[in-house]
Amino acid sequence: MGKIPPSFKTARLPVTTLLRNPRSIPPHESSSPSVTPTPHPHHFPSTKKTANKKKHSSSRQKTDPSSQNPSPMIFKSPNLSDAKQTFNSILSTSPASLDLRFHNALLQSYSQISTPRDSLSFLRHMIAKQPSFSPNRSTYHILLSLSCKYPSDDLSPVLETLDLMVQKGFPPDHVSLDLAVRSLCSIGREDEAVELVKELSVKYAPPDSFTYNFLVRHLCKTRVLSTVYNFIDDMRNSVNLKPDVVTYTILIDSVCKRKNLREATRLLGVLDDEGFKPDCFLYNTIMKGHCLLDRGSEVIAVYKKMKENGVEPDLVTYNTLIFGLSKDGRVDEARKYLDIMAEMGHFPDTVTYTSLMNGMCRKGDALGALELLEEMEEKGCSPNSCTYSTLLQGLCKSRLLEKGLELYKMMKSGGMKLEAASYATLVRALCRDNKIAEAYEVFDYAVQSKSLTDVVAYSTLESTLKWLKKFKGPEFAS
Amino acid sequence: MLPQKVKKAITENPRKLANLIDLVNLPSTLREFVGRSQISRLGCFIHVWSYIKKNNLQDPNNKNLVNCDEKLRSILLGKSQVELAELPMLIKLHFPKEPK
Repeated sequence: MGKIPPSFKTARLPVTTLLRNPRSIPPHESSSPSVTPTPHPHHFPSTKKTANKKKHSSSRQKTDPSSQNPSPMIFKSPNLSDAKQTFNSILSTSPASLDLRFHNALLQSYSQISTPRDSLSFLRHMIAKQPSFSPNRSTYHILLSLSCKYPSDDLSPVLETLDLMVQKGFPPDHVSLDLAVRSLCSIGREDEAVELVKELSVKYAPPDSFTYNFLVRHLCKTRVLSTVYNFIDDMRNSVNLKPDVVTYTILIDSVCKRKNLREATRLLGVLDDEGFKPDCFLYNTIMKGHCLLDRGSEVIAVYKKMKENGVEPDLVTYNTLIFGLSKDGRVDEARKYLDIMAEMGHFPDTVTYTSLMNGMCRKGDALGALELLEEMEEKGCSPNSCTYSTLLQGLCKSRLLEKGLELYKMMKSGGMKLEAASYATLVRALCRDNKIAEAYEVFDYAVQSKSLTDVVAYSTLESTLKWLKKFKGPEFAS
Repeated sequence: MLPQKVKKAITENPRKLANLIDLVNLPSTLREFVGRSQISRLGCFIHVWSYIKKNNLQDPNNKNLVNCDEKLRSILLGKSQVELAELPMLIKLHFPKEPK
């Protein structure tokens, strides 16, 4: 019994109170094992949304037995009779500690290595052996999650589990739906997730905005845009579920990533027609979109519009702004925003400085970028490998190989990784300077530090040498 | 900008990638040097390059040159001295394109 976490031994809720009115537990707290904060696909404007999600899901998880890792080593084989025996032996040694949460933990543990059918049999066995154990919604959610994750040709195992839940007096609510959708999506069964959402919204409860937006985001990542739009239209027509600001943010981000400017503009129009006020994150997404579509100069217009509408810019806004301007070659303007953002109480971070350095290097002012590195370190902001790679590339491109090599040595002593582009530029600069042996040494470092795979590192080296022979002519090669 | 373009071409072109990493049955000369009957072009390059480093075969006055020892000479066209820059090309000679 030493493997059982102590949390199972001291149950906060006596089983009996749970049994008397299991339905009185607010659905948010009942269960949802797999509701975890989803990793955000887009790195810029996601801070607040992630925070919201975290809060939301942690409140769900607080009382959720199955989310705690229930000593996965209890069951060593997926064999049903072995599992039953294990349960019997636990039952005979310490019947006192067997409360509802413990049973759920056991079921969860077993379900991780077995089939839906065996898990159900195991549950029936537990009920038969321990009459005081009465499964709650969490118990069935474990089975539901399993039947979603278990490979199958169609939705029938999921629907069977749902029917079972209805039979036992737990008709699927939006938590069940959320759980099922996330489980299905986690193994790439998006089409089935859509089908399930459509079916359940009509039959039981429509998805809440979290489930809905999760599915939209997942579809954006894995399917063509028309599939996403079809889903949104279907939901609007069948259960009157409309996209919200978050949905539009996801959509705009997605179309910008696909470099579909026309659709992004149309979406902005739709947003306006629907009467939504963009928030800081949507503005950040729009800004990022402009950067992605090589329209860095537009970021100022977005920034101004933001100010006009009284939306307070955050650190991400300024970083995107400086990134966009730098990309567009307007480094001087970008620099001004360094002071402006500090005035507003947002202190430039590594991302800010690296974007600005990148802009300066593009303009050919690698030495200026090097000065900026000192300035940034003075202000207590430490550079990362991206900063160094940017600088290294800039220095090599500006034919300042000596300084570049100094920087490379610093990177090497700090064990920093080289980015593919910086590596290629450095190798090319070295070869151009007839420092072939040093280029080979950089190749060794790139492979050994795991910056690049040996295939990429070698093919860069090989093609650079080929290029060298071709352009420097035979007098060099001989 | 050329190398970057080429790099993309190689990692995204399955045939070129295969050309680099597929195991190839070696001719007897190379088999002796490598100590195996099969190796990829990339593996062979790495093997030769680490052989050079291990045995300090780089010319002390000009690190770009390699003074071949007997073993190395046997696989690099019998040359007594080769340039590091031509090493990939020399190794490629042992990996002729398969006619298809």
